[in-house]
Amino acid sequence: MPDDLTPRPEPGPAAGEIEPILTVPPEVGAPKPNPILVVDNLTRSFGGLRAVDVDHLEMERGVVTALIGPNGAGKTTLFNLLTGFDRADTGRWSFDGQPVTSPSPDQLARKGMIRTFQLTKSLAKLTVLDNVLLGAPGQVGERLPVAPFRSRWRHQEQANTERAEELLERFNLAHMRDELAGTLSGGQRKLLEVARALMAEPVLIMLDEPMAGVNPALAQSLMRHITLLAYEGLSVVFIEHAMDVVTGISDWVVVLAQGRVIAEGPPWKVIHDDEVIDAYLGRRRAGAGS
Amino acid sequence: MDFDIIFGNAARAAFGPEAVILALAAVGLNVHFGFTGLLNFGQVGFLLLGAYGTSVSVATFGWSLWVGVVVGLVLSVALAVALGFPTLRLHAVMFAIVTIAAAEIIRILIGSTDAIGLTGGPLSVSFDAGAFYDLNPYPDGPHDRYGIGTFEFTGQQLWVITVGWVLVALVCLAVFLIVRSPWGRVLKSIREDEDAARSLGKNVFSYKMQALVIGGVIGGMGGVIDAIKTSGADPNGFRPQVTFFAYTALLLGGSATYLGPVLGAILFWFLREWIESFLRQLTAEAWLPDAAADFLDGTEGVISVAMVGLALVLLMLFRPQGIVGNRTEMQLDAR
Ligand SMILES: Nc1ncnc2c1ncn2[C@@H]1O[C@H](COP(=O)(O)OP(=O)(O)OP(=O)(O)O)[C@@H](O)[C@H]1O
Ligand SMILES: [Mg+2]
Repeated sequence: MPDDLTPRPEPGPAAGEIEPILTVPPEVGAPKPNPILVVDNLTRSFGGLRAVDVDHLEMERGVVTALIGPNGAGKTTLFNLLTGFDRADTGRWSFDGQPVTSPSPDQLARKGMIRTFQLTKSLAKLTVLDNVLLGAPGQVGERLPVAPFRSRWRHQEQANTERAEELLERFNLAHMRDELAGTLSGGQRKLLEVARALMAEPVLIMLDEPMAGVNPALAQSLMRHITLLAYEGLSVVFIEHAMDVVTGISDWVVVLAQGRVIAEGPPWKVIHDDEVIDAYLGRRRAGAGS
Repeated sequence: MDFDIIFGNAARAAFGPEAVILALAAVGLNVHFGFTGLLNFGQVGFLLLGAYGTSVSVATFGWSLWVGVVVGLVLSVALAVALGFPTLRLHAVMFAIVTIAAAEIIRILIGSTDAIGLTGGPLSVSFDAGAFYDLNPYPDGPHDRYGIGTFEFTGQQLWVITVGWVLVALVCLAVFLIVRSPWGRVLKSIREDEDAARSLGKNVFSYKMQALVIGGVIGGMGGVIDAIKTSGADPNGFRPQVTFFAYTALLLGGSATYLGPVLGAILFWFLREWIESFLRQLTAEAWLPDAAADFLDGTEGVISVAMVGLALVLLMLFRPQGIVGNRTEMQLDAR
């Protein structure tokens, strides 16, 4: 399988070195030094509504990128297109240096593009542990000819279980290990889904509102953990509404409104952008009369 | 009224070949519906192809019984693939409709007068299952009987049910071994949420196809046993209700459990035969008013099926998870 051979991304810069992303000008469509994702002319309409209309967008490798925008801006739709869960009307994109020709969700996931869902998809009748174990990549026991012979997958399963337990520990779910996932609260399900996604050893993880409904302290620790992983080379894109959350944890912010990227740049620049503030306050872009 | 006879009849049905066939149908359905969430309403189609594949191979083509068995099972695989390719990517409801329609179409084609030369058409087909009974280790003289009271089998019958229940046990073991593995975990994740499985890199279509083939072949084995037991096949034996009886057995016993479908099949036949025998004796009782006796006479079979349905309704009310199912799992559906 080619995905086993995919080289892990380079680790982040050494201490004292300036983050390459900081050299990028804060302009819409600005090229990045080492992009994980490059999107061109991507559009998707629902009836007369242009939900996504992106001319050019690059996401940097090994950093945390926040995707923000008002309700209905097209953030989730953009995720769906990029991960193959929805079909674009036009456009191309490449992931990890390779053009995505026939986007199928499971193929992209096996290449390391792992997403979570805004409406959580916990597997209700599987235990919490099994939910996380499902995420583990390259399981030999998932192949039918091997499945009946426990001795052939036991060791891998044990190793995966240890990793899964570490993740559960980190997300405060260790005590729920053997409960059915359907018994978890809404916030716990969000956490479980992030743990499961991390279990999949992503190259790029795309989180759709991972902190919605999670208590602030835990959300903080979740994002700290993710920042740490980004430092080790993981590329992270997450969707979020609250601007204050975004400033603390993201290296780069992309703002979407009515399907278009209206601004991007480092968080402290973007949140003071007039156009962004207008979009958030629901004012029309062209007719900002104040 | 003799309850020993009623009980003996019921026990005989519960362990007889009909229960073996139903158990295999239900175990296959459990792989489809219980573990993978595939709403297969055409399970009877797999039984039909198992039975006709065996019968036609021997009766029409003169092949050996064992070749016939293989043909029956290969046809079941072929049906699974033919059904799965166009429909598994569609919505679950589409799949359900296509399966029930496909099974009916096959039954009607096989039973049509145009097919007389091949399948016997509406006349049914019969063959010599001697190759199977030659292996019978039980003495089978005209007076040899095994069991007590009405719970009694001939040597040939005992041989069929011995092979049948051993087969059921082996199939259950195989299903257990594959479903408790990471492979089985993927099946269950597809049942719970296909998109979640996809987002973690699982090829949902491929897993559904594997489940469809496995469950279909298990159903096909039921058909093979049916053919051997009756030394033939009749299109009327493969009406859609066979699928619904298999669902009844599965839900009675407990969907997505390892032994539930087998226990359910045993219970299904026990209840059905117990009620029918009871009603038949009741009809014969002198004290029953004539009108009631006339009504019952000849309708015992229908009423007993209705009663099994009632039992299922009561079970769903008081024990929705089935006999061996897990209650907490069941209650999650309501959240
Ligand atoms: N399947 C669909 N059919 C029709 N319209 C859709 C569909 N999916 C999304 N839309 C529309 O596309 C627009 C963008 O929706 P999307 O879910 O991407 O927004 P979002 O930015 O994720 O919003 P939120 O922050 O509320 O989650 C909305 O106007 C929505 O109504
Ligand atoms: Mg959204």
